[in-house]
Amino acid sequence: MNNEQLQTHSAFRFHGSWQEFARIAFPNLLLTIVTLGIYRFWATTREREYLWGKTDFIDERLEWTGRGMELFIGFIMVFLLIGLPFIVIQLVSQGLIFQGLPVLAGLLTFAMFLSLFYLTGLAYFRALRYRLSRTYWRGIRGGSDDPGFQYGLSYMWKTVLGWLPLFLMVPWAMISLWNDRWNAMSFGPHRFSANAQWTPLMKRYLLFYLVPFLIFVGAVIFGMSMAASGGTPDALGGTGMAVGGVLAIVAVLAFYIMLPLAALLFYSKYFRMAVGGLRLHTLEFEFRARAVDWVLFFLANMAIIICTLGIGYIFMPYRNWKFFVEHMEAYGEINIDELTQSQTVVEKHGEGLLDAFDVGAI
Amino acid sequence: MSTFFDVAHYDGQKAVKRKVEVQVVGPQFYLLENERCTGPFAFADVAYVTKQGEADVYGLTGHDGWRLILSGPVPSDLKGLLPAPRRYGGWVDRLGIGKAVIAFALTSAAAVAVVLFSPQWLAPLIPDSVDDRLGDALVGDFGGRFCHTPAGDAALQKLVASLDDAPQDLRVEVANIDMLNAVALPGGNVILFDGLLKQARSPDEVAGVLAHEIGHVRERHVMQALLRQMGLAVVLGGVDGNKGAMVNNLLAMSYSRNAEAEADAHSMQALGSANILPVGTASFFDRLAQLDGSEGAVKDNIGITSYLSSHPLSASRKDAFEKSIVKGKNYKPALTPSEWTELKTMCAQDRKAKSGFGFDFN
Ligand SMILES: [Zn+2]
Repeated sequence: MNNEQLQTHSAFRFHGSWQEFARIAFPNLLLTIVTLGIYRFWATTREREYLWGKTDFIDERLEWTGRGMELFIGFIMVFLLIGLPFIVIQLVSQGLIFQGLPVLAGLLTFAMFLSLFYLTGLAYFRALRYRLSRTYWRGIRGGSDDPGFQYGLSYMWKTVLGWLPLFLMVPWAMISLWNDRWNAMSFGPHRFSANAQWTPLMKRYLLFYLVPFLIFVGAVIFGMSMAASGGTPDALGGTGMAVGGVLAIVAVLAFYIMLPLAALLFYSKYFRMAVGGLRLHTLEFEFRARAVDWVLFFLANMAIIICTLGIGYIFMPYRNWKFFVEHMEAYGEINIDELTQSQTVVEKHGEGLLDAFDVGAI
Repeated sequence: MSTFFDVAHYDGQKAVKRKVEVQVVGPQFYLLENERCTGPFAFADVAYVTKQGEADVYGLTGHDGWRLILSGPVPSDLKGLLPAPRRYGGWVDRLGIGKAVIAFALTSAAAVAVVLFSPQWLAPLIPDSVDDRLGDALVGDFGGRFCHTPAGDAALQKLVASLDDAPQDLRVEVANIDMLNAVALPGGNVILFDGLLKQARSPDEVAGVLAHEIGHVRERHVMQALLRQMGLAVVLGGVDGNKGAMVNNLLAMSYSRNAEAEADAHSMQALGSANILPVGTASFFDRLAQLDGSEGAVKDNIGITSYLSSHPLSASRKDAFEKSIVKGKNYKPALTPSEWTELKTMCAQDRKAKSGFGFDFN
């Protein structure tokens, strides 16, 4: 039984229920309010403990071992080492403007912006590393020995390069950074390998890219054909005005519906390509949610939030995790005897400084 | 010695799941698996990790990934030796959620009170050297916008000396900016804007406004307001990135109603001991209120707050100045007509002083 052959059912299964989650989320909300938000680090931890503990990979539950105190200490350190200096820099550059030295103030602000840019990249990396190092399966965890400083630089230049040609290379930047991030990660003794392709994304990206343009052209053509068939504007009179108004509303609606739709279309493909390019030793991964699933997921989320007057927001971590787990799939086999403990470093004080920048999931 | 059966165990080295028996010997225990026996382990080193579905998961300090997974009812004599499960986190579990919520709410209320009132308590503790340095950093030479002529400087100096006992630690300047405003800044800096001098009909009017600003300096309101602004920025978790808004805020640094009353009292007292008629100040306030509708609105358009928006005018304020007139007192003008002309035209005469702000506010 040491060679775990994957069954016909998905390798990932979720057993949670929203009623159980509510018994965690509501006290969390209450405690977060009365502590002016400080409890949120412990709240996050409790929610993850529940979500991980209710998730099966093959035949054993996942385990979240991160602690609220770790996130809290990380937050305090970020505040002291980054937040406070930034407030001081803001004050100083304010003074410089006041003294009529806007160039110097601009340079200072630019330097601040650059370092924030760098730290954002670093934070993405560290967040992933933190999550893997706190996720156990059968007593084995993940992690990375890479502190991510190099990744911070890659994040800067690849993002800028993605923007430069009129934002056309954004898919390349996204996939390339995903690969960089995951290639530095490991689970147990095995290193992840990520070689997702970006070119298959371009069709959907161009669609998203062209939506505003297409709507504009469509509106102009429609308007012109109306004008051509309707004769002179004088003859049209009031009806012409009404038609114009309706047209404008349709164009605005199209913009607000088509654009997010096109964005989801692109994102679903991105996520499928990204996860599909991931390997761990003999395991391959797949994310099976299609664009339709994403659209329904978001519509349901919106409905829940609106119908509960916003309180449903506290269920979003549950819904996100459920959506993620239920569409994840793994193929291949794992040799349990080969799966030994990760030798990556785990910082003693929970984690290093920037894990507090706990940005988005994988 | 007692033994418990069927406990799931991971040793943290390999992902192989073992079924073990726990053999308790005093404060220690052994794990038995067929012929193999590991241990002893101390109960003192056992830590609660997480709840995994229905099971409680325990770890061992210093052994990464070592797990004991107890599902189902745990015999009470073993339960007594194991650490208690964690629900909400340390303090909340110790107090119980009800008491914890009340304790946190009270602490939060106290913290909010400290943030709101601490500027008054903290401001006197800030050393003068810090105050001075901050003033220099913020004001400097105001980008060369201060106006100077020998006669104008002398007139201003005379005015300041008549209103304050220690004029040497004040720095009063006239800025070549066409704006109806006067501000007190850190380090004893008081700036009168040229627009205010132009609007004033007599030196008495300027004296009242100047004495009010000196009042803010002497009563240490400046540092209080600065601390409040910084404190609020810290509490609200961010600083407004809009430079124009920040400079504007600095100019309009608002004081509490209490502080304004104190500054007014200071002004009336200073005018009294300088034998300057307070009625000028009262009528100036009156005219400012009328101007606010026309010129003041124009000033607001370019994003610069006028004096009135930082010093809200109330009828009682004007009345107080009028009532502070002492019948039969030998009042004399604050400046001679020629001194007043020199002060009023100082910026027009000084060709070297730069005008306006020279940078874009928006
Ligand atoms: Zn004032």
